[in-house]
Amino acid sequence: MMIQTRRSTITAILLIGIGAAQAFATPTAQEILAAADAVRNPDFSFGLTSTLIEYKNSKQTDTSTLAVYSKADTSNGQFRSLIRFIAPARDANKLMLKSGNDLWFYDPSNKASIRISPQQRLLGQAANGDIVTVNLAKDYQAKLAAEEDTQDGERQTRHCFKLALTANTADVTYHHIDMWIDTSNNRPIKARFYTESGRLLKTAYYRRYQQQLGTERPTETVIIDGLDPSWVTVMRFSNYVKRDVPDSWLQRDYLARFKPE
Amino acid sequence: MTRIFSLLLLLCASPIWAADAESEALLLADYAVEKIERTRDLRLFLEAATAISDQGLGPRALHTQRLSLNLDYDKVFYPGWRAVLSDRIDINWQDNLSHHTSINTLKEAYVSWQVGANQIVDLGSINARNGVATGYNPTDFFRSNTIRSVVSVDPINLKKNRLGSVMLRGQTLWAGGSMTALYSPKLSTQSQSDALITNTGTANKNNRWLVAASHTFFENFNPQFLVFSTPKEMPQFGLNLTGLINDATVGFFEWSGGRSPSVLSQALNTEDDSRFRNKLATGITYTTENKLTLTCEYEYNGSGLESAAWDALQQGSPLAYWRYRQAIQHAQDLPTKQAVFFYGIWQDALIKHLDFTAMVRTNLADHSRMQWIEMRYHADHIDFSLQWQLNSGNAGSDFGALATKRNVQAQITYYF
Repeated sequence: MMIQTRRSTITAILLIGIGAAQAFATPTAQEILAAADAVRNPDFSFGLTSTLIEYKNSKQTDTSTLAVYSKADTSNGQFRSLIRFIAPARDANKLMLKSGNDLWFYDPSNKASIRISPQQRLLGQAANGDIVTVNLAKDYQAKLAAEEDTQDGERQTRHCFKLALTANTADVTYHHIDMWIDTSNNRPIKARFYTESGRLLKTAYYRRYQQQLGTERPTETVIIDGLDPSWVTVMRFSNYVKRDVPDSWLQRDYLARFKPE
Repeated sequence: MTRIFSLLLLLCASPIWAADAESEALLLADYAVEKIERTRDLRLFLEAATAISDQGLGPRALHTQRLSLNLDYDKVFYPGWRAVLSDRIDINWQDNLSHHTSINTLKEAYVSWQVGANQIVDLGSINARNGVATGYNPTDFFRSNTIRSVVSVDPINLKKNRLGSVMLRGQTLWAGGSMTALYSPKLSTQSQSDALITNTGTANKNNRWLVAASHTFFENFNPQFLVFSTPKEMPQFGLNLTGLINDATVGFFEWSGGRSPSVLSQALNTEDDSRFRNKLATGITYTTENKLTLTCEYEYNGSGLESAAWDALQQGSPLAYWRYRQAIQHAQDLPTKQAVFFYGIWQDALIKHLDFTAMVRTNLADHSRMQWIEMRYHADHIDFSLQWQLNSGNAGSDFGALATKRNVQAQITYYF
């Protein structure tokens, strides 16, 4: 009887100990990635203006302005995005819809809604996957590779988690990603995007953090080409607004109708 | 000035930063200046073109000039209400600058009312376009009698410059799908040749109705079903299907079918030879890593002529031959059963902002060909383009019979 009571007590202490350890454990790599996603993207439907300025050998070669509307898909948590071209003038009012790997392009001048492949890029260096809102934690499996100091986009040293992300499915823009996330506040600092063969495609710096839609978010991403570092795209985000878009609008047959007031 | 300043900064930056390409990129971004752009309801472009054509009439080439003004206006004028106007005017000079012809194309003029989030009603002249193929669209049931001015043989351009049909259209939407129903009444039996009239009714030669429905059954599978009819014709059915084959390839399938007479019996008013006929356009679009997009399309017209019948028509009555060709041209259909179509666009080819587009149409019955190449350079608000076209084949063949044998056109387009 005495032995039984002692065993129960030891078991209870062990259980409490394990529970306490779990409660105070460092978050998993996947949780860190999800927290970084939450810094970049609100957890509600929203719209913003994205301006892309492209440079080659320090010379500005292109600029585009896009209106982006994003809404999380209730079935998988990933964002679906509707992109409207504002500038240049020849492309004004053209639309792109991205819902998973369903990509549609609409040109109002010929009324055509065309399915496009992920490889069909509509802008210079930025892949279609770069201009839309993406929750990386939904598409990638994260592993903590290191904890290290790195320089952020403002040339400040930040102590970061270095996460190694591997794609869950083949139908994502990048095969694997290295991502640095500030240990103190889960802010994404920079990321390197790779092909399946390990070739560096591009490096992105997330910077110019500002208060937007309830929290400090990066309002600029600087994308540097992996092969040619003189090829740089600056993506600036402005005009953040909480905006709901009905599910029924995020489909091919609504593209001709889309006319935000 | 800011750009010069940033470049100076780059040059004078400390060796530590200069040695680091990423730091240089960040420095460049520090001084990036964005131009504030706003959405616009009005879009305008002006286009000037000059062309030289070989009409197959000896050594004398035909010189033509064109000036075009295109206007697109799309305005929400009251919550839920939208007005759309799209119009184009082409002024053409031929050899002598003192003589010109003008053609106005009223592409769209309608009012749209969004009743709730998911119901929309439109009334007016509307360009109701369907189809997922590039070169030939069997489900584009409203394409007949819509082209008044051909400024380019590029099929994408042909779809931009066409008349709308007067109609009442309603659409209801749900998550992942929609249904559209429209009715377009007969307004005229004659084409209006007056160049500058609004041409309302030119495309409304019959009472017509169409119902189209689509639904996303699962990701990457979103078929569209169509039914089209006129009081004189049996219903025609349609299907549009596209799918992602891999990261770089899209497949498409466009079909229409129904009981109908052949184009020849309609053109010559001969005995009704109605039976179930199919029309089809199917193919793939493949994109390489360096922005080259290639489309290969097979086209089939069950209402067109077999090879032997096409040969016989060419050898027979010239009147019957030209009436048949005219009917085919108005219907934007294929004269014979089968054709293949290649279309390629290479964006940023060789240098940034330079696009190459090439197209080859081949009639598989008479092996005649239309070949077309365009080189287009995009500056800030201006496009410069040079187009070359060659039509080849025997005298009475699909493309060999076209008046223009060779054509070179240079044009400048300014976007306001």
